[in-house]
Amino acid sequence: MAYLQIEDLQVNYGAIKAVQGVSFSVEQGEIVTLIGANGAGKTSIMNTVAGLIKPAAGTITFGGTDITGRKAYSIVKNGLTLCPEGRKIFPRFTTYENLKMGGYTTTPEVINRGIERAAELFPRLKERFDQVAGTLSGGEQQMLAVGRALMSEPKLLMLDEPSLGLAPIVVQELFECFTKINKEGTTILLVEQNASMALDISHRGYVVENGKINLSGTGKELANNDKVREAYLGGL
Amino acid sequence: MFFQQLFNGITIGATYSLVAVGFSIVYSVLELVNFAHGSFYVMAGYLVITMYSFMVLPYPIALLAALIITSALGASMNQFLLEPIRKKTSSGESVMTATLGVSTFILNLVMVLYGSETKPFPNPVDFGKFYVGSVIMKWNQVIIAAAAVIMIIVMSIIIYKTKIGSGMRAIAQDVSAAKLMGVNTELVITFSFFTGILCAAIAGLLVAMYYGSIDTTMYLGVSMKTFAAALLGGIGSLPGAALGGVIIGVLEAFVAGYISADWKDCISFVVLILVLLFRPSGLFGHKEIKKV
Repeated sequence: MAYLQIEDLQVNYGAIKAVQGVSFSVEQGEIVTLIGANGAGKTSIMNTVAGLIKPAAGTITFGGTDITGRKAYSIVKNGLTLCPEGRKIFPRFTTYENLKMGGYTTTPEVINRGIERAAELFPRLKERFDQVAGTLSGGEQQMLAVGRALMSEPKLLMLDEPSLGLAPIVVQELFECFTKINKEGTTILLVEQNASMALDISHRGYVVENGKINLSGTGKELANNDKVREAYLGGL
Repeated sequence: MFFQQLFNGITIGATYSLVAVGFSIVYSVLELVNFAHGSFYVMAGYLVITMYSFMVLPYPIALLAALIITSALGASMNQFLLEPIRKKTSSGESVMTATLGVSTFILNLVMVLYGSETKPFPNPVDFGKFYVGSVIMKWNQVIIAAAAVIMIIVMSIIIYKTKIGSGMRAIAQDVSAAKLMGVNTELVITFSFFTGILCAAIAGLLVAMYYGSIDTTMYLGVSMKTFAAALLGGIGSLPGAALGGVIIGVLEAFVAGYISADWKDCISFVVLILVLLFRPSGLFGHKEIKKV
C-alpha cells in the first residue's frame, strides 16, 4: 500500500457532489500534484484528507493507518499537515507567534528547531518576526503559511494553491523551497492551478475534473500531454 | 464624598469588570453574544443558598461547589446545546438565540423553585471597616475588589501565557486554521465557556455577599452593565472589558451620589448609546486589517 492512499473518496456539500469517487496515492519522498480548473474539487479533497470535512464515502490511509473521518487535530499529530488555500495566517499574531502556533502539538525543542528552520528557508520572514502577520505582503504571508505548516515537522505536507495571487518571482522562490523541503525528506502533495510550475517540480500528477480524476502520469508525461497542454498550460 | 463614591464605584466596578471579562472571553473566541452569561451569575447565588441554608454544607464548600457546578453547567450548555447547533448551521444567530432560551429557562426555573422575591444571602464573614482619611472602607469591599482583580489577572495569564490560551486566541482569528495547527477546537471552546462563566459566577457571589441579598432581577442589570462595559472597552478585548467595568461602576457611584440613586442604572445605557454613536470600536477595539 502506498504512503498516502485515497480510495473512492466522495465528498458532498448537501446535495452537491463535490468529489465523486476519487482514488490516488502518494509514495514516501514524492512530490505529487493535483491539477484542475476552479471548482474541480481539489480543495475539497485536500480539506477532507486534512480532516476539516468528513467524507461521504471512501477511505484515506496514511502510513498504514486508516485516518478516514478523523478530526483535524489528530491528523496533524499523525504527521500530515495542510497549508490551506488562501494562506489563513493568524492576522493579529506576529510572524513569530504564527510560527509558534504551527508547533501547537509539539514540544518547545521542536518549536525552536522549526523557527530556526523557517528563518533559514525564508530569510525575509526573519526580518518580520515581530511584525503583526496581517500587515505582511502576500508573498511573505504565503512563506509564513508554509513555514508554519512545517513547524509540526510533518511527514507529509499538503500545499493548497500556494502560488495564488503571487508575483511570478515569489512563486519561483517558493517552488524552489518546496523542492528543497522535499529533498530534505518531506513528502509533498500539491494542488495548483499554475500547472506548468507544479508539474515541473513534481514526480507525478493527477488531473482532477468535475470531482473525478481523469488523467494521471509523471510530471513530464502530463506536461507533454496534448489535452493537459490545451486545458491547463495555455496551449504553449 | 468624592473619594467615597470613587472607592464604592471601583469596588462594584471591579465585579462588573470580572463579569465583562468572562463575557468577552466567550465573545472573542466565538463572536457570540452569550445572553445566558448573566443568568449563570444569578444561578451561582441560588446554588449557595440551596447548599448552605437547606443542605447545611459548610460555607466555603457551598461557595466552591456552587462555582464548579455553575461553570460546569455553562460548559455543558456549549457542549450539548450550542456545539450541535454550530455543527448543523453556520448561522451565529441561531446559537445566540439558543443562549437567550437558556437564560430564560434558568431564570424561570429559579423563580419557580425559589420565588421571585428578594432572598437574603448569607455572609457569615464580616470583617468590619476602617477609615482612610474620611473615606469609609469596609473590609468586604476590599476583599471583593481584590478577588475580582486577582481573577482578572488569572484569566489574563490563562489566555496570554498558556498553550490552551494560545489555542483560544487562534480560534478567535480563524477556526479552521486553528484546527489545522492541531488545536482540539471543541475542547478549547468548551474550556472558554467554563472559564468565562466561572468569572460570572464568582462575580455573582461577590456581589451577593456585598449586598447581602439576591433576586432574579439582578440578571437584567448585570447583563446591561457588563455589555456596556465590554462595548466601552472594545468588544472582545479583555483589558478593555476590565477597564470598561470599572468606568461604569465609578460613573454609577457618582450618579448615585451627586444626582440620585434612581438614575444609577440608567448610566450604563447612556454609555452604551454614546459609545455606539461616537466610538463603535470602543477604547481598545481592534480594527480588522484584511488583506485580499
